[in-house]
Amino acid sequence: MATLQINGQAMDIGSIDPSTPLLWVLRDTLGLVGTKYGCGIAQCGACTVHLDGAPVRSCQIPVGNLTDQKITTIEGIAAADGTLSKIQQAWIAEDVPQCGYCQAGQIMSATSLLQNNPNPSDADIDAAMSGNLCRCATYTRIKRAIKVAAGQQTATAFYNAVDEKGALV
Amino acid sequence: MNMKSDQLPIAELPDFFRDMVEAQQVAAEQALEVNRRGFLKLSGVAGGGLILGMAMAGSNKAMAQAKKAAAPTEVTLSPYVQIKPDGRINIFSKNPECGQGIKTGLPLIIAEELDCAWKDVDVQQADIDAKKYGAAQFAGGSLSTPMNWMPMRQAGATARAMILAAAAKKLKLPLEELTTSEGKVVHAKSSKSWGYGEFAELAATMPVPDPKTLVLKDQKDFKILGKRYTGVDNVGIVTGKPLFGADTRMEGMVYATYTKCPQVGGKATSFNEAHIKSLPGVVDAFIVEPFGDGRMFPTATGAHLGGVAIVGQSTWAAIKAKRELEVQWDTSTAETATWSELAAQALALADKDGEPLMMNAGPPGPNAKRVSADRGDVAAAFASAAKVVTGFYEYPYVSHAQLEPQTTTAVFKNGTIELWAPSQIPQGGETGAATRVGVAPDMSTLHQMRIGGGFGRKLANDYVYEAAAIAQRMEGRPVKLQWTREDDMMHDYYRPGGFHSYKAALDAKGNLTAFQDHFMSHSANGTAPMTSADLSPAVFPMDVVPNLKLTQTLFKNAIPTGAMRAPSSNAFAFSFQTFMHELALASGKSHADFLMESMGGDGFTNAERQQGMNRTRAKSVIKTVVERSGYGKQMPAGQGQGLSFYFCHSGYVAQVADITVSANKEVKVNKVWAVADFGFIHNPSGAENQLEGGIIDGLSQLFNAKITFNKGVVQQQNFHQYPLLRMPQAPVLDTLFLQSAEYSPTGGGEPSMPPLLAAVTNAIFNATGQRIRKMPLSESGYRLV
Repeated sequence: MATLQINGQAMDIGSIDPSTPLLWVLRDTLGLVGTKYGCGIAQCGACTVHLDGAPVRSCQIPVGNLTDQKITTIEGIAAADGTLSKIQQAWIAEDVPQCGYCQAGQIMSATSLLQNNPNPSDADIDAAMSGNLCRCATYTRIKRAIKVAAGQQTATAFYNAVDEKGALV
Repeated sequence: MNMKSDQLPIAELPDFFRDMVEAQQVAAEQALEVNRRGFLKLSGVAGGGLILGMAMAGSNKAMAQAKKAAAPTEVTLSPYVQIKPDGRINIFSKNPECGQGIKTGLPLIIAEELDCAWKDVDVQQADIDAKKYGAAQFAGGSLSTPMNWMPMRQAGATARAMILAAAAKKLKLPLEELTTSEGKVVHAKSSKSWGYGEFAELAATMPVPDPKTLVLKDQKDFKILGKRYTGVDNVGIVTGKPLFGADTRMEGMVYATYTKCPQVGGKATSFNEAHIKSLPGVVDAFIVEPFGDGRMFPTATGAHLGGVAIVGQSTWAAIKAKRELEVQWDTSTAETATWSELAAQALALADKDGEPLMMNAGPPGPNAKRVSADRGDVAAAFASAAKVVTGFYEYPYVSHAQLEPQTTTAVFKNGTIELWAPSQIPQGGETGAATRVGVAPDMSTLHQMRIGGGFGRKLANDYVYEAAAIAQRMEGRPVKLQWTREDDMMHDYYRPGGFHSYKAALDAKGNLTAFQDHFMSHSANGTAPMTSADLSPAVFPMDVVPNLKLTQTLFKNAIPTGAMRAPSSNAFAFSFQTFMHELALASGKSHADFLMESMGGDGFTNAERQQGMNRTRAKSVIKTVVERSGYGKQMPAGQGQGLSFYFCHSGYVAQVADITVSANKEVKVNKVWAVADFGFIHNPSGAENQLEGGIIDGLSQLFNAKITFNKGVVQQQNFHQYPLLRMPQAPVLDTLFLQSAEYSPTGGGEPSMPPLLAAVTNAIFNATGQRIRKMPLSESGYRLV
């Protein structure tokens, strides 16, 4: 019986075809459906998760290749008490999502960027985010939200602000 | 100030939208009748709670839904508003959310007239129910906001009036002394206030006011509308909550793939069934016969193409087995068209006329009277012209490429079909699924899920019908159908490619005097254009030019087509507005002046019926974008600005693109200015999202998007062959809404995109002298950097 280290927990995945991409283990076996299927060939980035802190395309990682690496998904980005990360808060404050389907992958890439480079330049942001497609084309807001999360600029003023757990205040 | 509204552009709409809009208008009248007869009280609810809803005689399903929908402690004041004793308010959003922001936008309108605080509102996605919400629960045509602006205001005002009436009764105070503020009933005389929750139960027993007696707020008194709001699902999105169609999970669920013939329209006759069924994790595999004509845009018909379903214990088991699938296809009636051959045929016809292009003489519809679209004397205008300009334009088929590949979860049990689907026409999904599995319409229930990108692809419900058919075979078990990206790209209802052979006349003063187009497009039967493959003479400048001649050639080709963001306009804006720049240069006038003078006056193009393009609004956006961008100023070598204007879906947008072109045709789009008039903007954040997204979507299509087919087989399968724009290529954007305050809001999703196409091609001309008459630009060696 195999286990994976996901979002700080050991999760039992039973006996599973080792060729199964991590993406489908997350979605079908574990019900962690925040990670999305978009292309299956590492072109779109919708399935991005962290493997030992680095962003990877979960559609390309056979689960049989995993041992005790630490996996983080979009469900594991907020603190245990529900406090959202700075990136998540900025995404809400800037009203980034349109359809929202790609945004889990975008947030995983952005989170990794700021962990490694807390004060990124425009070129750094472009480079870190160029593997994530957004068909609705929210790129300008993604970039602004990353800068807000990095403390480089203040959030656009909304009539309704949200608290650190995302509730309207 | 009271807002006036331009009429909805019903005449411009494809049939499937027009039918729904007209049905909605009938349903709205019926709903008023129901309102006047009062609400029906339902008793016997668990917990003794009170539920009120509109009379739904004869609909057991609707009754059951109403009972299911309301918890005992909630009071339903209308299908749109529920008030809880603690004052929190559920507002139901009736239309599908596909990224256009409507799940936030419609409830904001209700909240404004309900006069509550937005932070006290929980937005719920409404179920599909024509008796409660009318026949137009769809996302398309940029219609959700304009069609629902007044009904949502009335819904909020109705609930508020009932709360006030209840408060007057309970408090034994004169109604005139009571007012409301932020979810409270206020009695100014005594300086007292009470939360709405205190009166909700009594309010539900109050007579429903006649909508004509409702006093709606004056725009200057709006407290909620006009400010920026973040989307109501954003917390769920950034934390990975199961919101989308693809996220549906059910006890005992199995997972299906569905493989169709690569040559569009082929039917499966047999497959390596024993092998597929022997593979690990495969539960079942079977042929699904085609239903109806799946090549024709299936919004409500139940139609889909034939294929082979593989049902597995996981998505991966089904996908892995699909890779080993070997199918014998009957291609005797499949499509055989080849894009390159059509393009060669079109080029050969460029100097000839086609058949006269006909247009509706009166109301549209199947029995509409058809007359020639021509007017004036084109031959005489060309004979006396100072200049004649010609141009042959080409654009390809394009795929929607929404990021969520098609998916639906379905259960067929006890003669009923239940579906969880991301659909832009969920009502059509529901009724078509019933048709597909052969049950009565009220035995079909579709739950609308958040849509992982629509762009018009999910107006077609083919994947819903496929899921229904597969679930029927797997009777009793929930089945989630998941298309692969390859399935999606090879079996789209594409934006059709097309060709325009233009010829226009300018007089000695540089005025546009005649316009001629030989439009070449596609038809399944040789006479009726495929969906979105028709030409309407309402397009500027055809709507205003004094002498007009339109002909068309229809190639017999039924590669499936459908509506994509700004149908027709998403191609016409490129060809017509690039050609208008050619004409402007020939006229000797500035581009902006030529556009505005060609409009020939102010106000509506159809002044008699107050319909068409309002040229006053059109000129305002053009003038403003020129001012903001400084269009017309001297630019450094290799750099250029291009202007474009387009009117569609009741929206007016002008854009200027500033670009730099390198010697090896690398194009950097430095900045795009966009000025839009969509009337009053009730959520600027949402409207700006649509405008920004439209511009970048346009760039993506302009440079790279091209679907080709060879003997009926689509050649592109995934994003490596169909590149979308990525972040480094996105330009700086400058957007502005001219909020001509007297106009009520129209939709921004579609009109945002089209002008970008010609703004960039015109900028490339201004920078380099190279005129581009073919999309995508990659075909001419240009590369977006």
